[in-house]
Amino acid sequence: MAKRMAFYFDSSACVGCKTCQVTCKDKNNLPLGVRWRRVLEYSGGSWVPQGDQMIPNNVFGYTVSLACNHCEKPICVEVCPTQAMHKRDDGVVLIDAEKCIGCRYCDWACPYGAPQFNEISGKMTKCNFCEDLLAKGENPACVDACPVRALNYGDIGELRSKLGTVSAIEPLPEADLTFPSLVITPNRHAQFSGKGTGKILDLTEEEV
Amino acid sequence: MNIREWALIAFTILAQMSVGSFIVLGIVHFFAARKAGSEESDRLSDRALLAIGPTLLLGLAASLLHLGNPFNAYLAVSNLGSSWLSWEVLSGVLFAAVGGVFALMQWRKFASFAIRNIIAVVAAAVGLVLVYSMSNVYMLRTQPAWNTVLTPISFYTTTLLLGVLAMGAAFVANYAYVQLKNPGCADVQCVLLRDALRWFAITSIVLLGVELVVVPLQIANVAAGTTYAAQASAELYGQNGLLLGVRLALVFLGAGILGVFIYQNALSAGHEKVMGALAYAAFALVLVSEVLGRFLFYATHARIGL
Repeated sequence: MAKRMAFYFDSSACVGCKTCQVTCKDKNNLPLGVRWRRVLEYSGGSWVPQGDQMIPNNVFGYTVSLACNHCEKPICVEVCPTQAMHKRDDGVVLIDAEKCIGCRYCDWACPYGAPQFNEISGKMTKCNFCEDLLAKGENPACVDACPVRALNYGDIGELRSKLGTVSAIEPLPEADLTFPSLVITPNRHAQFSGKGTGKILDLTEEEV
Repeated sequence: MNIREWALIAFTILAQMSVGSFIVLGIVHFFAARKAGSEESDRLSDRALLAIGPTLLLGLAASLLHLGNPFNAYLAVSNLGSSWLSWEVLSGVLFAAVGGVFALMQWRKFASFAIRNIIAVVAAAVGLVLVYSMSNVYMLRTQPAWNTVLTPISFYTTTLLLGVLAMGAAFVANYAYVQLKNPGCADVQCVLLRDALRWFAITSIVLLGVELVVVPLQIANVAAGTTYAAQASAELYGQNGLLLGVRLALVFLGAGILGVFIYQNALSAGHEKVMGALAYAAFALVLVSEVLGRFLFYATHARIGL
C-alpha cells in the first residue's frame, strides 16, 4: 500500500518550548496570526486552603504540539467548494492557492483549526508537511528543530504499529470526527479527549 | 463581527427574502387571478415581482464581499459531490437565472400563461433548494449549535416570514402607485390588496409562533449538548441575552401585534392608509429582528476542537 504521511508527537517528552512553532513560522514565512504548527498548554486542578497553606489538588499540566493532521477523512476537503483543498496520494492535505476563493468554510469545519486565513493574500493556508523538503528527501522543519526529539513523521501504518494508536488527548477533539493521521505518546498527565478537566492556558498567544 | 461576516448576514437574509417573496407572490397571483382575472392579478403583483430581482442580486453581490479572493468565485460550484456550499452557490445562481427569465417573460407577457406558470414553479422549486442548501452548509458535524434540524426550520421560517411581509409592503406601495396613475381601477385592486394582507397577517402570526418555539429550542439544544463547543455556544447565548430579547420583542411586535392590527384594518374598506402604514412598519420591524437573529446565529456558534 502507498505511504500515508502522518506526524508523531511525544507528549511525554515535550517541554513546551515552542521551537517547532517558531521554526514553522520562519521556514514558511507565515504572517502575523497564522501558525501552521502551534503548541498548546493544557492544565487543570486547583489549590485547596488547609490551615495557612495551599495544598495542590490534582494540579496537572502538559503541552501538545499540533499542526495539520492530514486526516484520513479530512472535513476540509469534504466541504471545500472549489476542490482547492485536496488530499494527495501520499496522504498530505494541500491547498491549491490558484483555486482558493478565501471563503473560509474549511476554517468553520476543521476541528483542529489547521486551515488558517492569510489576510494579505485573501486565501486559506495550512501546513503542507514541508512538501518541498520531503521532495528533497529531507525532514519537515518542525521535526528537525525539536530539541527533545518529540516530533517525528512517517507512514501512519508504521507509526501505529511501532508507537500505538492514541490520537486524541485533550485539548484535541475526539478522533472519530476526521480520523487524524496522528500518533501521540501521551504525557503521564494526559487526559483523553472528551474527558478533560482542564483548559488551554496560553490563550494570550492566540495573537502571535 | 467584521465586514466579511456582515456580508454573510446580508446574503442569507436577502436571498431568503427573495425566495420567500417569489413563492408568496406566486401563491397570491394564483388566487387573485381566480378571483378577479389575470389582468387585475398582474396589476397587483407585477411591480412587486420586479422588486425581487434587485434584492436577490444585492444578496449575491454581498456574498462576494465574504470572499478573500472573489475573482475565483466561479470555481465555487466545483465540489457538488460533497460540499453543500457548492450547491448553495449553484442553486443561488440558478434561482436568479430562472427567476429572472420568468420576471422578464411575465413583465413583457412573452409566451402563454401556462408556459410562464411552469417556469415560475421551476424557479420557486430552485428557491426552495437554495434555502435547503443554505441550511445544510451550516449543519457541519463540528458545529453543534448549527448541526440540528432547527437550522433548516428557522431558515424556512425566515424565508416565508420576510416573504409575506416584504410582499405586504410591496403591495401597499403598488396600490398607492396604481391609484395615483389610474384612480378608476382602484376598487378591484383595493379588494385584492385587503384580501392579500389579511392572509399575510394570519401567516405572519403563525410563523411568529414557529419562531417563538424554535429560538428557545436552539438555546436548549446547545445547553443540553455534551461537547465543550456546545457549552461555549450556550455561554455565548447568555452573553448576547439582551440582543436576543430585542430580536424577539421586535418580531413579536412586528409580526404579532401589528399583524393583528393589519388584519383588523384589512377587514373592511376605508382603512387602507392605516393598513399600509402598519404593513410598512411590520416589514421594517421584522426585517431588523431577522437581521439581529442572523447576527446571533453567527455570533453564538462554536466549533468542536480548537
